Amino acid sequence: MGLLNTRSRGKGSALRVGVARIFFALAAASLCAWGCERDPVRETLNAPELALLPWDSVVALARGTELTWRMWRGDPAINAYVDGWVAKTLKERYDVRLLAVEGRGPELVNQFVVEREARAKGGADLVWINGETFHNLMAEELLQGPWAGTLPSAALLDSASAIVMTDFEQDLQGFESPWGRVQFALIYDTIRTPNPPRTVEELGNWIKAHPGRFTHDQSFTGVTFLKVLMYALGGGVDRFEGGFHQEAYDHGSEAVLAWLRAHSGWFWREGREYPSDVAELHRLFANNEVDFSMSNNESEAVTKSRQGVLPSTARPLLLKNGTIANAHYVGIPFNAPNPAGAMVLANLLLSPEAQLEKERPDVWGDGTVLDIGALPPGWKTQFEALGADSRALPKDSLTRYALPEVAPEYHERLSEAWRRTVRRPGG
Amino acid sequence: MSRPSEGGVRRSKEGSTLAGVFAVVVLASPVVLGIGYSALGALGLAGPGTGGTGPSLDRFSQVLGEPAVWEGTLWTLWVAGASTVLATVGAAGVAVAFRGVGWRNRLGRSLAFLPLPVPHLAAGVGALLILGQSGLLSRIAYYLGWIGGPADMPAVVLDPAGIGLIIALTWKELPFLALVGVSILETRGEALEETARGLGSGPGSTLLRVTWPVLWRGMLPAAVAVFTFVAGSYEAAVLLAPSDPLALPLLTWERYTDASLTRRGDAYVLALLGLMLAVVAVAVHEWVRTGEQGRTGS
Repeated sequence: MGLLNTRSRGKGSALRVGVARIFFALAAASLCAWGCERDPVRETLNAPELALLPWDSVVALARGTELTWRMWRGDPAINAYVDGWVAKTLKERYDVRLLAVEGRGPELVNQFVVEREARAKGGADLVWINGETFHNLMAEELLQGPWAGTLPSAALLDSASAIVMTDFEQDLQGFESPWGRVQFALIYDTIRTPNPPRTVEELGNWIKAHPGRFTHDQSFTGVTFLKVLMYALGGGVDRFEGGFHQEAYDHGSEAVLAWLRAHSGWFWREGREYPSDVAELHRLFANNEVDFSMSNNESEAVTKSRQGVLPSTARPLLLKNGTIANAHYVGIPFNAPNPAGAMVLANLLLSPEAQLEKERPDVWGDGTVLDIGALPPGWKTQFEALGADSRALPKDSLTRYALPEVAPEYHERLSEAWRRTVRRPGG
Repeated sequence: MSRPSEGGVRRSKEGSTLAGVFAVVVLASPVVLGIGYSALGALGLAGPGTGGTGPSLDRFSQVLGEPAVWEGTLWTLWVAGASTVLATVGAAGVAVAFRGVGWRNRLGRSLAFLPLPVPHLAAGVGALLILGQSGLLSRIAYYLGWIGGPADMPAVVLDPAGIGLIIALTWKELPFLALVGVSILETRGEALEETARGLGSGPGSTLLRVTWPVLWRGMLPAAVAVFTFVAGSYEAAVLLAPSDPLALPLLTWERYTDASLTRRGDAYVLALLGLMLAVVAVAVHEWVRTGEQGRTGS
């Protein structure tokens, strides 16, 4: 356990790893080029130590291993991409066998806490995380790092984008590697609502003119909608940037709660009940119980209508007040048994071909975190051709209305305030 | 055939005892460990967001002081109680009505047992698709011109009274209780009923004074098991229960996965509260049974 590095140790301590250990690792890696079943070095070097090795050595250590990736498994399109293209490519190129297993952010944090208490060997090599999960994992020192900045594909990242390079305003510190970028959008039906509202104010008027036809869910997506309202009604995102400020929160949350008090009586079920998650909201929308759904991914309206989950006339809608864009990442847990394999996978996920495949509307429609302008011309053309789906939102609109995430405390507090005062009035 | 030797009988008895002890240990260990860990978590000594401040009863006082917790608990008791009572009465009816050997009885019993292998999650989804405001019944009502749209359909899923959830749970639990009821009447009921009839009791009187008491006593442990299971079950509730009040299992999971680490320990207190409900249900059952045994002298 002493070799496991966490945030508290950082890069400085990783550099103190003995020369002999690195030499031994390199020797073992070259031996493994001829094939080896079980490699004790591979199992003892952690990600920050591996980050000091030449990339070929990391790849050699990963070769022939098995890798467990804990991730949200709730979308068949994402599962198909991971179990299909990603797993196949990882096996073919690196001889690494991928096992993608269910595990959402909050559950992962809890599990790692218990594993640490039990001093248990980890069951996950890579985890799909962002936002408050990253915040909690870092607070509990449950991630290994730094390692992400040394991946060869990391040189292609859109490093000028604050949305990609900070996670809910948190410095990535090399503890998580960007994987995809999404933007919040409402979802409407062009037949049912030919002239949808375009601003928060218009949305409020629309809700009052169409009682019972709007709601939001209780989970992450619903809270993101509340944050969109908070930016719009609380004086713009600038007021909430630069860490958590109680005064800004008080002002912003009161503006949101006042708006909800003024409008929720016209919500679905008069605002007394709310769908548990966004899947339930999609169901209500698809079955004509409400006229709007929403998603953290602007492409979901298109991908879900292709899957038949949403009507074929479903379209994404951006509010002109701006909507929240954020990125999602992969991290390596403190007790990951195969950090070399995890780094190889994280690097593959960042490669132009993996990012392009993922962004195809008929695959997943998840935005890239790469700087497309800096890619070789061939890749650039292919990425630009992806925006051709007439149902998808134009990229310039997305960029124009994209607002960054703010500190995770806003998410936590707003979620709690909504549960206490709106979901359960008088609570 | 020769009689088994005394040593053989003793060895066989010892073997059975050993197997029994093993089974009990295997069954109880995870529960005991879970309770122990939950207690540590509730005291702030284990789990996420403990903060390392040492043992404290703060979590208990904070969580148990929330009105939402008690409303959720009462709502859970209402749903579990109502679905258990409905399922028990329905199951007794099935057991009495289809207890014979003829093909009609066999068919009746088989149809009643059909939901037995259906998972609770599937029962919840089924209820949503049939009873929801845009579900099958709603669509039939729409085509018949009874309603003009989903909002006109009475809300019986995600509803504060829990009607849809109670219907789904009753449908799911009734077959299990009916199975118990049928086997009770087959093994214990017939001889007693025959004796009663031989002593001049009419059909109505036999049903009321012999069949029902036999069924009631035999089915009570199974009904208590159903109640405790339903009170703690998450799958159907997450699909069909309302957001206010929030059922105890849903509230427990919501706290365990709260965005804020400091709230997650609340889930351990709620888990212990759920356990207390089950313990109280079992204690009431024991008390009722002891009382009955006292009255009948058995």
